Amino acid sequence: MREAAVVSQPNPLQRIPGVAIVLGALIILFGAIAPGFLTPANLSNVLVQSTILTMLALPMTLIIMTEGLDLSMGAVLTLTSLCVAIVSLATKSMLLGLGAGVLVGAAFGTVNGWLVAILGIPPFVATLGTLGMAQGLSLIVSDAQSVVGIPHSVRDIYSATLLGVPVPILLALVTYVVFHGLLYHTRFGSYVFALGGNREALRYAGLSPNKLLIAVYALGGTMAGIAGLLMTARMNSGHPTAGLGLEFDAIAAVAVGGTSFERGNGWLLGTLLGVIAVGVLRNGLNLVSLPSSVQVASVGVLVIVALFLDGLRSRA
Amino acid sequence: MNAHANAPGGTSAVPLLQLRGISKEFPGVKALDDVSFALYPGEVHMLLGENGAGKSSLMKVLCGAYKADSGEFFFKGEKVTITSTADAQKLGIAVIFQEFSLVPYLDIAQNIFLGREPKGRIPGTIDRRKILAEAKGLLDAIGFDIDPSVVVNTLGVAQQQMVEIAKAISQNARILVMDEPTAALSDRETELLFALIARLKADGVSIVYISHRMAEVFALGDRITVLRDGRRIDGVKPADVTPDQLVRMMVGRTVDMTYPRNFADKPGEVLLQVKNLTAPSGISDVNIEVRRGEIVGLCGLVGSGRTEVARAIFGADPIASGEIVFDGKPISGEPDVASRRGIALIPESRKSEGLALLRSVGDNLVVSALRKLFPSGLFDPRSGLRTADGLIRQLRIATPSARQTVGLLSGGNQQKVVIGKWLAAGAKLFIFDEPTRGIDVGAKSEIFALIDRLVAEGAAALMISSEQVEICHVCDRAYVMREGRVAGHLARNELTEENIVRLGMHHA
Repeated sequence: MREAAVVSQPNPLQRIPGVAIVLGALIILFGAIAPGFLTPANLSNVLVQSTILTMLALPMTLIIMTEGLDLSMGAVLTLTSLCVAIVSLATKSMLLGLGAGVLVGAAFGTVNGWLVAILGIPPFVATLGTLGMAQGLSLIVSDAQSVVGIPHSVRDIYSATLLGVPVPILLALVTYVVFHGLLYHTRFGSYVFALGGNREALRYAGLSPNKLLIAVYALGGTMAGIAGLLMTARMNSGHPTAGLGLEFDAIAAVAVGGTSFERGNGWLLGTLLGVIAVGVLRNGLNLVSLPSSVQVASVGVLVIVALFLDGLRSRA
Repeated sequence: MNAHANAPGGTSAVPLLQLRGISKEFPGVKALDDVSFALYPGEVHMLLGENGAGKSSLMKVLCGAYKADSGEFFFKGEKVTITSTADAQKLGIAVIFQEFSLVPYLDIAQNIFLGREPKGRIPGTIDRRKILAEAKGLLDAIGFDIDPSVVVNTLGVAQQQMVEIAKAISQNARILVMDEPTAALSDRETELLFALIARLKADGVSIVYISHRMAEVFALGDRITVLRDGRRIDGVKPADVTPDQLVRMMVGRTVDMTYPRNFADKPGEVLLQVKNLTAPSGISDVNIEVRRGEIVGLCGLVGSGRTEVARAIFGADPIASGEIVFDGKPISGEPDVASRRGIALIPESRKSEGLALLRSVGDNLVVSALRKLFPSGLFDPRSGLRTADGLIRQLRIATPSARQTVGLLSGGNQQKVVIGKWLAAGAKLFIFDEPTRGIDVGAKSEIFALIDRLVAEGAAALMISSEQVEICHVCDRAYVMREGRVAGHLARNELTEENIVRLGMHHA
C-alpha cells in the first residue's frame, strides 16, 4: 500500500522569478541607453557599491522571514559608522574601530529583538523607535559634524584589491556564502523558517522562539556594525547621515528578491539579485544624469514591477 | 463502570495509559468533570461526543497543553504527572492536530526532525545526508513513498498528515491522539490513513481517535468512550452497541429548561428563500425557507457549513450558484446591500465583529442606523441619544445610561445591544450565530424572550446553535446541516436532540 507522491516540484525556470527578469531587463536597458554602463570598470563599481546593501539586505531577509521588519538598520549603520570613525581615529586601530561598530550594532539589534520578542511590540513600531534613538545618538556623538581624518587602514578596505578583485566585492561574497550556509545548512537556519512558518512547531520541539527571534534581530544589528566599517571606509569619514534611507533599499531588495512577508517564505539568492538590481538601477540612472529623487522613486517602481511579475507567475 | 471490564480480550490487563478522575474547569464552564479513561497497548480508542462534550479538553489534558485541576495519570500502572507538553512527549504521547504543526517552507526531513536534527561536522550544521536517510527510513516504515527533501508547502493535506504521523513516530510515540483526522481527506486518502492506522496498531501503538463519523467509529474502533457535558457517560465496544444507542448516549435529557416562546399557529409570508445555494466556502445545494413570525434553527456539527450558509445569505462570502430571495426580491452581493434590505447577521464573536467595545452603548445602537436617522449626513447627537434611549427601554438593556461603555456590560446585555443596533437599522430577518455563547442562564431566557417578541411583531429569525436543547425549545422548526449540505428538516413535532444528532452525524 504505497502512495505515489504527487508533488508539483517547482519548475526551476518558474523559480527564475521576477527579480531575474527585472535585473536582466535593467542591464539591457542601461546597456543600450547609458554611456559607459557595460564597461568592466563600471560593472565592478556597481558591485562595489552594492556591498553595504548586501550586508544589510541578507540579515533583513532573515528578519522578514520571521514576519518581522527592521526599520532601524539604516540609522544604526549611521551610528556604527560614526563609532568606527571615532574609535579608529582615537586608537589608530581599524580593528578596534570595527569592534566598536559591531558592539553598538549588536546592542541595537538585541534591543530590537527584545522589544519584539519579549515585550511583543510590533516590529514596525519597535524598530521605528530604535531608528529614532540611533539617529539621535548619531547626532550626539558626531556633534552633527563629519568625523574626518580617519586612519588609512580603514580607508584602504574600500579601495584595496585582492588578486585583482576589489576587497568589498570579496567581503560581500563571503557574507553571502556565510548567510547561505547559515540559512540552509544549520539548525538555526531551519528555526528561522519555523519562526515565520509555525512558531508553535518550535515550541513543541522544545525550542524558545523568543531567544531565536532576538538572535535574528541581533544578527541584523551586528551586520549593520560590519557594514558601518565599509561605510566609513567608503566615505573616508564618519557622517551623521551616512545610512539615511538604507533600510528602504534593503527592504526593497528583499521584496524584489521574492521573499514574501508571510509564513517564513524567503529566498536568499533572490535578495542578492535584488540588491544588484537596486544597484544597477541607481548606477544607470546616475549615468543618464537623473537626479537622486528619481532614483528613490524608481526603486519603489522596481519593487512593484518585480512583485507584479511574481504574482503573474504564481497565478499561472 | 469498571475500565478493566473493557480491556481487549486476551491482551494484558494493565493499561498503557490511564486517567482517573480528571477535572478541568474554566471560568463558568466545567470542561471535564471526573473523567476516567484507559488506553490499552495497540488499540484504537474512539472518543465520541457532541460539540463541547469535552473531547478536545481531554485531548489537551492528555498531551499536556492543559493542566488538569485534579485527577491522576498512570503510565503502565505507575503514577506519573503530565503538566507540560514535554512531560507528555517523554511518555510517548503525540497529538496530530487538525492544524498541522509543520513549517511550510522547510522540507519533509527538516520538519520531522525539527529541534532534533542530526549534527554535522561543523558545529551548528545539520548532517544533510543523515537527516534525509533517517527521514526516508521513517517514511518507508509508514508506507509513504515520497522524497524527504520535498518542501512541505507543496504537499496536500493528506500528505502533510502523513508527515505529521512520521514526525510523531520519530519521537518514539507510543500513543497517537488524532483529532478528526479524516475531516479534510478524500475517500482514497482516508483508506490510506486507515491502512496506516492498522499498521501502527500491529506495531503496538495505541491510538486515541476523535471522530464524528459513525462509520469510522465502527470500522476502526476497538473501544468507544462517550463524553457528554464534560462527563464520561460510558465505555463500550463497537460490537455491543448500535449507532442509535451511541446517539442516545451522546445527547443529554437531563436539562430542564423552559424558554418563553409563543409559537405562531400560522407563520406569515415567506421572508427568506434560499434556493440551491452552492458556495466556494463549502456549502452545496442548500435549500432553506424562513417565514415571518418564525424562529428557524440551523443545526449541525461545528464545521458542517452552518456559519457558511449565514455568511452567504448576508453576502459576506461569494456564492457560486443558486438564488437567495429576500422579501420577494432576489438579493446578492455585499453585506451593506443585505443590511440595507433588512438582513441582520449577529455573529458568534460579537466582541470582535458585532460591537465597538470601547464606544458607548448609544454609539453602538445607532451606528447601523446612521443613514436612516440622518439622511442629510449630519449627525445630531441629541436625536441619536433619543433613539438609543428608546431602544434601551424597548429591549430592557441594563445599563446606567446610553453613555456607558459597551465593554462594561454583561454578555447578555451586550447581545441585546447588538440586536438593538440592527433593530434601529430596520432589520426584518435576524440571523443569530450561537446567540447564547458566553451568556448566563438567566440572560439566555431574556434573549429568547426578546427574539420571540421580535418575530411576533413580524420579523423572522434564523438561529444557528450548537445548543440542541435551546433549538428544541425555541425553534418552530430546524434544518440540520452535514458536510455542507442540508441533511434534513425537522418540523416542530420532530424537533428532538436525538433527531438532530442522528441527522448531523455520518451513518453510512
